[in-house]
Amino acid sequence: MPKTPLKLVCVLGVLACTVANAAQVSEEEELAMAYGDKATVSIATGVRQDLRRAPAVATVITAEDIKATGATGLDEVMETVPGVHVSHTADRYFSTYMFRGIASMTTNPQVLMLQNGVPVNTLYRGDKGEVWGNLPLENLARIEIIRGPGSALYGADALAGVINIITKTAADTPGTEFGLSAGSFNTQSAWVQHGGKLGEVDVAAYLRVGGTDGYNGTIDYDAATRLNQRFGTHTSLAPGSLKTGHDAIDASLDLGYDKWRLRAGYKLRDNLGLGAGVSYALDPVGKEKSERINADVSWSDPQFARNWGLGFNGSYLAYSEEANNYNINPPGIKIGGNTFPNGMIGSPGRWEKQLRVSGYATYSGFAGHSLRFGVGHDDLNLYRVRTMKNFYLDPNTGAPTPDLAFNGGAVVDYSSRQPHLLPHRRLNDYWYVQDEWNFARDWTLTAGIRRDKFSDFGATTNPRLALVWDATVDLTAKLLYGQAFRAPAFNDQYGVNPTGDGNPNLKPERIRTVEAAFAWQARKDTQVNLSLFQYLQSDTIRAVANAVGTSVQTFQNTGKQDGHGAEFELVWDANRSLRLTGNYSWQVSTDQTTNTDAGYAPHHHVYARADWRFTGNWMLSPQLNWVADRKRAFGDTRPDVPDYTSVDLTLRTERGKGQWSFAASIRNLFDATILEPTLFAAPVAGRPDIPTSLIPYDLPMPSRSFYLQATYSL
Amino acid sequence: MSPANVIKQQMASLWCAATWRVFASGWIVIMAGWRSVAMLWRPALCCAIGLTLIAAAAALQPGRGIAVIYPDIGEPYRSVFARIIEGIEEQTRSRVPSFAIGANPNMQEIASELRRQDIRVVIALGRNGLKFTSGLERDIGVVAGGVLSIPEADARNISVHSLAPDPGLLFTRLQTFMPAAKRVFVVYDPNQNTWLIRLAREAARARGLELVAHEASDLKTALLIYQDIFAKANPQNDALWLIQDSTTVDETSVLPLVLRETWGRNLVFFSSSVTHVRRGALFSLYPDNVEIGRHLANSALGYLSSGGQGPRGMVSLKAVRLAVNVRTAGHLGINLAGRQNFDLIFPEQ
Repeated sequence: MPKTPLKLVCVLGVLACTVANAAQVSEEEELAMAYGDKATVSIATGVRQDLRRAPAVATVITAEDIKATGATGLDEVMETVPGVHVSHTADRYFSTYMFRGIASMTTNPQVLMLQNGVPVNTLYRGDKGEVWGNLPLENLARIEIIRGPGSALYGADALAGVINIITKTAADTPGTEFGLSAGSFNTQSAWVQHGGKLGEVDVAAYLRVGGTDGYNGTIDYDAATRLNQRFGTHTSLAPGSLKTGHDAIDASLDLGYDKWRLRAGYKLRDNLGLGAGVSYALDPVGKEKSERINADVSWSDPQFARNWGLGFNGSYLAYSEEANNYNINPPGIKIGGNTFPNGMIGSPGRWEKQLRVSGYATYSGFAGHSLRFGVGHDDLNLYRVRTMKNFYLDPNTGAPTPDLAFNGGAVVDYSSRQPHLLPHRRLNDYWYVQDEWNFARDWTLTAGIRRDKFSDFGATTNPRLALVWDATVDLTAKLLYGQAFRAPAFNDQYGVNPTGDGNPNLKPERIRTVEAAFAWQARKDTQVNLSLFQYLQSDTIRAVANAVGTSVQTFQNTGKQDGHGAEFELVWDANRSLRLTGNYSWQVSTDQTTNTDAGYAPHHHVYARADWRFTGNWMLSPQLNWVADRKRAFGDTRPDVPDYTSVDLTLRTERGKGQWSFAASIRNLFDATILEPTLFAAPVAGRPDIPTSLIPYDLPMPSRSFYLQATYSL
Repeated sequence: MSPANVIKQQMASLWCAATWRVFASGWIVIMAGWRSVAMLWRPALCCAIGLTLIAAAAALQPGRGIAVIYPDIGEPYRSVFARIIEGIEEQTRSRVPSFAIGANPNMQEIASELRRQDIRVVIALGRNGLKFTSGLERDIGVVAGGVLSIPEADARNISVHSLAPDPGLLFTRLQTFMPAAKRVFVVYDPNQNTWLIRLAREAARARGLELVAHEASDLKTALLIYQDIFAKANPQNDALWLIQDSTTVDETSVLPLVLRETWGRNLVFFSSSVTHVRRGALFSLYPDNVEIGRHLANSALGYLSSGGQGPRGMVSLKAVRLAVNVRTAGHLGINLAGRQNFDLIFPEQ
């Protein structure tokens, strides 16, 4: 294990010192008797909860936690979750959430993203969408994260983890709040949210407009540099700056009446920069836009009849992604004997819609049993694809070829001649059943199974078992087993791309996981959680070369990876003014094909935060993030990815209605050099001087940055 | 209420309603034009929203003859008082002037402000809020809330809405979870909770329960009594109730003992303190802050309408929500399946 960095020791020392300074007040003592400790008050002022003890290793991040982190978006919050590290890809600087060492590094389809329980993963890539552009936090009531398999309840893509974003209802956001924020990289936003009643209807509404120029760190060597080095040309734009900005609009409406709830949401990302370029060659020109419109209506009655509960949900999601002139490679680039005088330019676009209906019933009429049944139908339709480009793929070799003879190198519509993806519609019918059986005092066995039948790649059945033992008043132990899958994304099946051609015969990617978890209330003010896990991932979908020596690749079920590790969490309420939270995660993942480390994900990860309330309304929250021991993938000869320790500081004051509240954050306070690993690229035969990556010096992450926020409540 | 005050009140209500309409209209305009406007003039939109809120804030005018005095306290309790004030304003349908009392409040300044605004009744929240009202002029009525208890002599002249959950509501819940319950044990300090135990005895009698209430004026005595209760309690019919009592319910000695013994003996243990449910108590009732605000507002309005002849004395907390520990319920063999009407559930995962 690497040495613990000095900064970590220093910051923990500072955190510990604050214990002595925190004040206690008699008024607070009396209120604590009525309302409980700080943590209890925060949730006791929230809204009604559903009765469900998750038979899983789960983390709940509250709105209060979110504020304390000083995060500007979901990506930063996810980094605080045990067992999760947020990395970024070179193209678009897209965030990938690595759960327990499972990292695909180009897309992120092993993680199911839900919004209020409804999947929002896109069909094209099977993840949260390549034009992601982060997610603002003001409107989030909480985030529920399950580490480990979740397909027995949630179906496809709940392979490595599940993230459920819960937005605020009228009860969560009473009154009207306005907010303004600004910060480094020309980041600005303004929002308004309101919660109240319209007659008998609970209404919550949210609108946010924002944008950022984004971090503009320098890439010294890119894919074009590599081609230049290989073919003796001089076309690369490196060294050059990253493009990570975007404009954003987010809106939502939540209506509740009796047992009914109607939600609608809108998410627009426009002018999204392409990071280090879609093919890892710097692109100062290209932009992307995505638009998501979603709505769902649900009805639920937990006590519909004696021993019976019922509910249903119907949802609709429309999602589109449109590129505006990707400069895939710069002018003059030479690839495989072809020269592109205008460079390679493309403007792909895709439009999809997802219609889902589901229903459930619960039954508690058998002594000691609590049953839950569910059925559902999904209609997933990627109905339109646009392919605009100035080149085509040679039908025989797959090699990109400039379209000079027919169109003089201009960008033209290839949507019918050679689309980058074939439109596709997938239907899924599923059912599940789960029984929570209290078979002896303090012993509960939860057994669940779900079967999904897809119209294109067939059926899959995924079980879940959880044995829970309430050993003592302070200690709970869980033993869990689960199987899960991720559905082949439409690009995996029907993509037209020489670096990853679609394969309609793909099967789902699978995982089997065994977990042991312990929750121990060590003292009245100290909660300790420990989880241990082991998994075997198989049929992993990867792009594989069609033949030795060729660069044309097709997606295949070929990978196999195993892993094991542990996560340790500690929450210590040192006194009424100070709470310390932290977690340490350790994992080892092995690619069974090569019997080497799977690479990319950190073996060690520490996160620690102190929330210190002082002088009434002020709260100071320093936090530390230590990411260590990231190996390279098999064949990559570069040294290991450098470890890093970042420290953030957030100071905020929260005041009541009719007053301004402020927050100020410094992220990466000590300006640590943070690098996220780039992908391995096969070595060029006979050219050991050419690096084993398209961007060999990894991806720089934001330097020290500052953010200010002001909110006003009515 | 004087005719002038009625007119002022109506004017304020109309003014508030008009302001909200203007406000809502502005928002709709923003919503409608966001796409074109926002993408091009982000900073302009920020300013527009900022100006709107300043205008709206300026437009909201306080009304009525009620004011709130509350302690200037940090989070998370600040939010508690904010919610209570929200409930007061909802019930009075007006913006109520509120004064946060810090460590060294300027009594004279606040008192003159109360006079200037023709305040006739003050809702005092928290220990500090209540303390402040002792210096007020006699013709200003006081309704107190946000405290557990005050000496009974002090409560004779004012109405005090305690944060101690109503024993009757607790016992009703107990009987729902444990229909066979016959006896309830409680240990209390007579200097703090005589009033509550008096209520509890009546509530128990009304529900066919026997309340076995033991007095203890110090922790050592209390611990001995708890040991005795554990020795003779019958888990089939008996339950233990922990109240909010700084003498007899100590977090470092009594609570661990109670948790260990009740778990080991499968004895039902419920509490007036929600934080105990997090640790392992079967259930608790905890304050519904907005509803408390409404109750306080009703008391204050009653005081105004009755010409200062409102009810006096301590009132237990009836604006409550229910917290349950499903792990403890499972351990005790209580089946909660099908009962979903809980406001707070522990453990959280």
